[in-house]
Amino acid sequence: MMQAIDDSDPGVRRHLGVWRTCLGNGLIRDMMFRGNFLIECITSMAWIVMNLCFYLLIFQFTQNIAGWEKYPYFIFLATGMLVNGLMQTFVMPGIEEFSELIRRGNLDFILMKPIDTQFLVSFHRVKWASLTTFFVGLGLLGYGLWQGGYVPTPWAVAIYPIYVLCGVAILYCVMVVLASTSVWMGRNQSLGDFWFYVTIFSRYPLEIYEGSLGQPIRVGFSFIVPILLAVNVPARFMARPLQEGQWALAVYALGATGVCLVLTRWIFVRALRGYRSASS
Amino acid sequence: MAVIKIQDLAKTYRVYQKREGLAASVRGLFRRQHRMVEAVRGISLTVDEGQFVAFLGPNGAGKTTTLKMLSGVVNPTSGTAEVMGYVPWERQHAYRRRFALVMGQKNQLWWDLPAVESFRLHQQIYGIEPTAFARTQGELVELLDIGSLIHQPVRELSLGERMKMELVTALLHRPKVLFLDEPTIGLDVVAQHSIRAFLKDYQTKQRVTVLLTSHYMKDVLALCERVVVIAKGQIMYDGSLAGITGKFGGHKIVTFKFSDKAHADVASRGEVLSCEGPRLRLRIDRAAVTGVLGDVLAAYDVEDVSVEDPPLEEVIAEVFASAPNAGGPAESDPAPVEAVER
Amino acid sequence: MAIGSRVVQWWTILRISLEERLVYRADFALGTLMRFMPIITQILLIRAVFESSGRERIAGFTNNDVVAYYLMVLISRAFSSMPTLASGIAMEIREGDVKRYLVQPVDMIGFLLLKRIAWKLIYYTVALGPFALVFYLCRGFFPGWPDAVTMTAYVTSLLLAFLIGFFLEALIGMIGFWFLEVSSLLFIYMLLNFILSGHMFPLDFLQQFPIVQTLFTSLPFQYLAYFPAAVFLGKISGPDLVYGLIIQASWAVAFFVACRLAYALGVRHYSGYGG
Repeated sequence: MMQAIDDSDPGVRRHLGVWRTCLGNGLIRDMMFRGNFLIECITSMAWIVMNLCFYLLIFQFTQNIAGWEKYPYFIFLATGMLVNGLMQTFVMPGIEEFSELIRRGNLDFILMKPIDTQFLVSFHRVKWASLTTFFVGLGLLGYGLWQGGYVPTPWAVAIYPIYVLCGVAILYCVMVVLASTSVWMGRNQSLGDFWFYVTIFSRYPLEIYEGSLGQPIRVGFSFIVPILLAVNVPARFMARPLQEGQWALAVYALGATGVCLVLTRWIFVRALRGYRSASS
Repeated sequence: MAVIKIQDLAKTYRVYQKREGLAASVRGLFRRQHRMVEAVRGISLTVDEGQFVAFLGPNGAGKTTTLKMLSGVVNPTSGTAEVMGYVPWERQHAYRRRFALVMGQKNQLWWDLPAVESFRLHQQIYGIEPTAFARTQGELVELLDIGSLIHQPVRELSLGERMKMELVTALLHRPKVLFLDEPTIGLDVVAQHSIRAFLKDYQTKQRVTVLLTSHYMKDVLALCERVVVIAKGQIMYDGSLAGITGKFGGHKIVTFKFSDKAHADVASRGEVLSCEGPRLRLRIDRAAVTGVLGDVLAAYDVEDVSVEDPPLEEVIAEVFASAPNAGGPAESDPAPVEAVER
Repeated sequence: MAIGSRVVQWWTILRISLEERLVYRADFALGTLMRFMPIITQILLIRAVFESSGRERIAGFTNNDVVAYYLMVLISRAFSSMPTLASGIAMEIREGDVKRYLVQPVDMIGFLLLKRIAWKLIYYTVALGPFALVFYLCRGFFPGWPDAVTMTAYVTSLLLAFLIGFFLEALIGMIGFWFLEVSSLLFIYMLLNFILSGHMFPLDFLQQFPIVQTLFTSLPFQYLAYFPAAVFLGKISGPDLVYGLIIQASWAVAFFVACRLAYALGVRHYSGYGG
């Protein structure tokens, strides 16, 4: 029985359809292990609460940290949670698996699919439990705005999600590049470790990176590997609007996101060429 | 019409050597030794549409590497190949849409989910039209008799059942070319049989071009007329199964049944395989058979005599063993620790 | 089994696992250095806090003191953290490997203890380089070497921290005799450990919340990270120091006893199932 073969290059619709199916599959799978799911939600929340307690403690001793007062700092933290939550739900599961597949030489099946490999590898696994971080972040955002007495302008409300997504895009690029390099470098540090180090730096306001130790970090992580932009830029829009120099940084952030995405694509394609599947 | 055209395909890997001992490992931090492994050394082959071809060879012969090159997963070091007019390692979407690869003991289905969810994902990825997809899925599931199992999580299935799911997944988009890498390995006899039966039936009806690798004789006997024997990265033989014995079988098995008892001097004419009472089985060089027969029949009273070909497995094992070594590593080298493409 | 041949056996195992690590060379080099990344942001954050607050001391700690504290906590945790101990025990129980301890004349806890000691010795001997480098670079944060008495007390507290850490985590692993899933309990333990041991901040910061501080200090976790660090920095001295060491030793003994008890009971429970 002959079947018409769809030869057209897979378009956006097909990719979205695949993503939707993967989202569903991920949910089915997570619900199969409800106990685990619950535990992960609880532990995510516990970590967040502990972190908050730490900062509450610190704010007993000071009015602000590097110019960020208490509630703006909470907004900063909340932004970090939004970015992290999205990353760990939609991006990290796929990329961690990608790293393992490269290491074991099992990328074969993915390479044979008639759909963009980078897309498939990045998004086909979803960890819904990590959305807890995202929602707690939303809650903290609301709380920080309310207690701090901030009413964000419609402009800020519109632009904030865009920059949160830019932050996700930048971190995505960094992780994909890190995973891809394991093609050339034998086994890498577990990708989960790299993610940990990325979050260590990106979760503090730019302003603390001062002095002989901090300046090079600030410059390096703003212009070379711009992970510091991921959380800082959107957080500023929401917590400290009307700051001078902010627009320059914002425009730069958009540009940096674009450059990162293009560069990442280039590196990814190169890595695939270098990939060799495990011997039989 | 030739569907698969391979010309002088070759693949060489660089493999890093790990040395023994702590001191050597520390040295390895700074400088690594490597050697080159020629997995495939110049293979040329043409396969027509609708043919079912088996690659037979021992482990490490290069069968899987060849299939991976044809699947576009591995880039060859040299040589060309064309499948349905496409160059596999360019990995064009149109090519990937038209072929499928199934690997024995390797699973592409989501482990925790029922197979039917993986099928649905497959449909999305390949852009298969829904009604056609439903029909194809229904047919395949019925042919393989797995209707009750597709709603169970894949990890709960037996090895044979998982293999059937893999086959269904591979065929859902109705590929014109099918690559099977050791599909029956590790399966019990019943599962092997039902999969072979299915493959034979499906291939005949759909006129799919199939390339199968195996080291099981039974796969080859059941499924195809054409066998390609590969050993140490080269093709040793390409033709019908029966022809192998003709070309390579250097011996014959001669069985004498004497009317009184087996005679010792007859036993010295060849290699004794068994000697029970009046029955004597010898392995004799093919060229010497007529001579021995003549002599023995003239000298002794023989009730019955039979001349047979040696078992196919033996012949093939001899073919494997006779493959020439590459200029590189010997058989006894340790297994590679990690390998990176050159 | 004679000690001599046992030592040889362990040396072989460790040497092989070290070789295995060295195969992935970029991995190893990077990994050792990366452990110090969090220190950098901690230093910067603390300095920002002190500068913004305009204070010279927080809960008796100067800026330098806090950084020195975090660095000393690294050392405390080098002694007291036991990665994969509890999960390893639980897995051995689950997979039935624990049978060999029951059948052969090998004491499981003793075996694991010696294995862990050897593992740490080897690992930190190799990691000594990066550690020494970092501490040398950060020497400006330290108020100088403590006197001989304090040093003795410090080293004692480190050894006791190791023992508490080992027996505590081994005890958690023993739960595997009764419950299949130990990982959730481990999660909770690590969560609590992070904040209660002083890993996150010096427990002195809780001065303004005396109830909370009393709670924290009466638990054993503080001896895993906070106590040794505080001793080294001279934050605990005199009778307090002696008292603290005694309590720490008592916790070590308590967990040792609890661990052995759990093992004996667990083995009995396990064998009752017919393996």
